[in-house]
Amino acid sequence: MARVVKGDHQAFSQLYDQSSSLLYTLAFRILGNRDEAAELLQDIYLEVWKKVARYDVGRGTPMAWLVTLTRSRAIDRLRARASKAHTVVDSTEQPSPHLPDQSPDPFHIQADHELRNAVGKALAELPESQRQALELAYYEGLSHTEIAARLNQPVGTIKTRIKLGMNKLRTALKGCCEQGEAR
Amino acid sequence: MIHEEFEEAVPLYAVGGLERTDRQAFEAHLLSGCPSCHAALKEYQAVAALLPYGLAPTPPPRGLKAKIMAARSPADAETAKRPNRPSLEPGEWMNHLFPPLPSTRSFPSNTARFALAFAALLVVAGAGYVGWTLYMQMPAETGRLQQLETALQRETAKTASLQREIKDKETALTQLRHELEMRNAEIGELRDTVIRREAELDDAHAQLAQLEKGIPAFRRARVQQDEVAALLRIPTVKVVSLTGSEMAKGAGGLLLYDPDTKKAWLYAFNLPPLPGGKTYQLWAIEQKPVSAGTFAPDAGQKGRLLIKHLPDFSRINQFAVSLEPAGGRPQPTGAIYLIGHL
Repeated sequence: MARVVKGDHQAFSQLYDQSSSLLYTLAFRILGNRDEAAELLQDIYLEVWKKVARYDVGRGTPMAWLVTLTRSRAIDRLRARASKAHTVVDSTEQPSPHLPDQSPDPFHIQADHELRNAVGKALAELPESQRQALELAYYEGLSHTEIAARLNQPVGTIKTRIKLGMNKLRTALKGCCEQGEAR
Repeated sequence: MIHEEFEEAVPLYAVGGLERTDRQAFEAHLLSGCPSCHAALKEYQAVAALLPYGLAPTPPPRGLKAKIMAARSPADAETAKRPNRPSLEPGEWMNHLFPPLPSTRSFPSNTARFALAFAALLVVAGAGYVGWTLYMQMPAETGRLQQLETALQRETAKTASLQREIKDKETALTQLRHELEMRNAEIGELRDTVIRREAELDDAHAQLAQLEKGIPAFRRARVQQDEVAALLRIPTVKVVSLTGSEMAKGAGGLLLYDPDTKKAWLYAFNLPPLPGGKTYQLWAIEQKPVSAGTFAPDAGQKGRLLIKHLPDFSRINQFAVSLEPAGGRPQPTGAIYLIGHL
């Protein structure tokens, strides 16, 4: 990331290879539309290229920062789209199978694979109600009040579910967070 | 919101589930430099950033990378397309300094061409030097900025700690003030009690003085009682009963006398209260009345009189009590109230 800050083209290319799959997956999950997800990703990377100096090493790993940035921009688009309220999006759209532009190096494939397994396992161990509350907040950008209204549950219950869910994930993924710090 | 509520809000903030107002309040709290909330938030944000790893991976579309690489800037795109180009070769930005010449036009001579190339080289070298200097200064400036940020965070934390200490001290001071007020109230109550006790003591002194004043009268009464008791023990004592006259029908009396010692004791009862300036006077009557003393009845209308020496008692045949002017008279002048015969 430091090399990207200095404007290193090769480093930027590597950054794309290592992060684009995860960021695109996230953008597509939130927006439910491939073209819009690709457009968002292009905006994100260009923003990183032009304004990457805003990245603060004290605030987490570069990947965590990129994920947070992507989620934030995607949720903004989702809300803007909701306010227009006339764009029909097929959230069930499935991406057509195609090959990625360039394969990341085997070490990162292996590391990502382990991380995906760990996160998938931790999420699978959560009670359905907690996982649902977390996903509505994280992927749909709903506040706990909006989630409570949607699920017809008391606000306090939703807050508790989110807190419990996050606490369990924190405990289960403690090693992964530390590993993520090292990346 | 209090600090515990902010701590509770950290996981919700990290996952993006806070209400707008709560979010703004929490961000303001973070800006205040709370170290524990900063630490907790870092952990929860790291967890939240892992959530996308739980999704089934979807590779980005083909060509997106090239599009992005090309879109960074025209100059970058050109550079990316021709990676083998010498790095010192002037780019398009040179056009701003030296507008490109028409292709048909040629330089008048090799000397002029060389001069132009030399000037361009000088400009490039100068720009490179300036760029290099700025580039070398940048890490130092970044480092200094980070140091300043760290120092600012440290000072903010210190300020927060000092504010907490001040608050604690203020609380302690308030408690001390409250205790002081309580002590003052207790002292006030004690002072009132002391004043009351002093007043009671004064009363007790006054009562004691009164009692002391009454001691002589009490002693006199005691002497009289002793005399009467002694009189009653004498076997030869005589008793004369006195009855009320028309002036005092309910009244009566008893007179004890000892012929040997010539002592006598009068006990009268139900006598009317004395008018002002008057006294009752006892008379021993032989042929003519002889005064045996004066007395005044008490609040219970009882009168007592001890006569220590009755004159020639053997010839007395009557006793009478009359109402006389204060101090008594040598001879009866007022009405008879009691009378008794031997």
